Amino acid sequence: MNHQELRDLAAMYALGGLDGEERARFEALLRSGDPDATAALSEFEGDLLTLARDTAEAPPPSVKAELMARIAAEARHDAPSAEAPAIRRRRVLWPAVWAAVMAAGIAAVAVGVLVSASYETRLAALARESTALRADIERQQQIIALLRDPATEMVALSGLEPSPSARARMIWNSQAGGLLVAAGLPPTPEGKTYQLWAIAGKNAPVPAGVFAVDATGKGSLRVPPLGGMGKVDVFAVTLEPAGGLPAPSGQMYLAGKS
Amino acid sequence: MPSTGASPEDPGALVARIARGDREAFSRLYDAYAGPAFGLIRRVLRDPEASKDVLQEVFWQVWREAARYDPGRASPEAWILMRAKSRAIDRLRSMRRRDRTFVTAVDDSVARAAETGDDPPALVADRGLVERGLDRLPDAQRRVIELAFFEGLTQSEIAARLGEPLGTVKTRARLGLERLRSLLGGGRPSTT
Repeated sequence: MNHQELRDLAAMYALGGLDGEERARFEALLRSGDPDATAALSEFEGDLLTLARDTAEAPPPSVKAELMARIAAEARHDAPSAEAPAIRRRRVLWPAVWAAVMAAGIAAVAVGVLVSASYETRLAALARESTALRADIERQQQIIALLRDPATEMVALSGLEPSPSARARMIWNSQAGGLLVAAGLPPTPEGKTYQLWAIAGKNAPVPAGVFAVDATGKGSLRVPPLGGMGKVDVFAVTLEPAGGLPAPSGQMYLAGKS
Repeated sequence: MPSTGASPEDPGALVARIARGDREAFSRLYDAYAGPAFGLIRRVLRDPEASKDVLQEVFWQVWREAARYDPGRASPEAWILMRAKSRAIDRLRSMRRRDRTFVTAVDDSVARAAETGDDPPALVADRGLVERGLDRLPDAQRRVIELAFFEGLTQSEIAARLGEPLGTVKTRARLGLERLRSLLGGGRPSTT
């Protein structure tokens, strides 16, 4: 194996994607302490840490709060054994034992309360998950039906002045409605919303729904069929006050002709 | 590297204190690495609720398993972040088993088509912090890194998915990581 091949293996191993016989071969090299393999691997692992630092995102404060509460609950349950002093004396002080038993009983109740609270949190999370799952499946079926319909067309929207790098696709079917998928939009400012418009010929734009984007600038919008509207010539997205308006007032971020 | 006179913020010393049940040390270690860990998890899972769960699970394990941390094998940062990544991928796989990510996949492939459709270079600007470095890679290299690192696919699966020879996939992964290093001004040693 030449140097370049070894580095290819190390890079893929660091990414977690090395498989089959090559994985076995590379792991054997690592086990044997091969200096080139070890050095290449730690080099690429370093790159991935850099990548991780680059994608940092502040977690919601609730995560830390829950963790600290969980740790506090555990500490009450069993004090860290590493810090427990070694038992030197054989003589046992019974009152102290009783006090400890009582304290343990109280602690057990406290832990019970906390544990049940944590199960409730978990159950609520599961319920949320299953609701989201059902909604996802429904959405997925609608999208598939839409994509299967030969009358469905795909309209590309390009970014305009305020966000030239934004892009979107409108999957549109005049009978069934459609789906807008946008990427690269600036985060929605406080009190504002993105609003989609459908325009036919020289007529006034028809409001087609509002949406927000996530931290990565992506957003999507299910659009119902726009009753009474024939062929749509242009789809456009503007930034409007929260809730949207009956007619566009803000700057246009995306537009595309069908 | 001096091994004595470790400051209170030395991550290795923090892990050692956590192993002795020191909550203050845990709080500091969390503050230092929860951000990058959460960013990684979010890249893999996208779903905010699931990402919070995984982040909590990862740091709970840090608390429970600090005594088993081996400084000879990885820096505390690598120990935590690689764990975050693999837990997130485990979760992704179990979600995928429940067909859940199909929707994300449809949405994403459409969004990706939109992203890469017309003039990719223009897209580099203005995407915010989250995808900064990776987005500056050539598309072919970025895809391989994303599929392996953030979606947990093996090189064979990637080759099949992209319809490229295995050798090409591996070389792109290496070139991508090397490129990323120069883009992000990396080149730091991976261990302290």
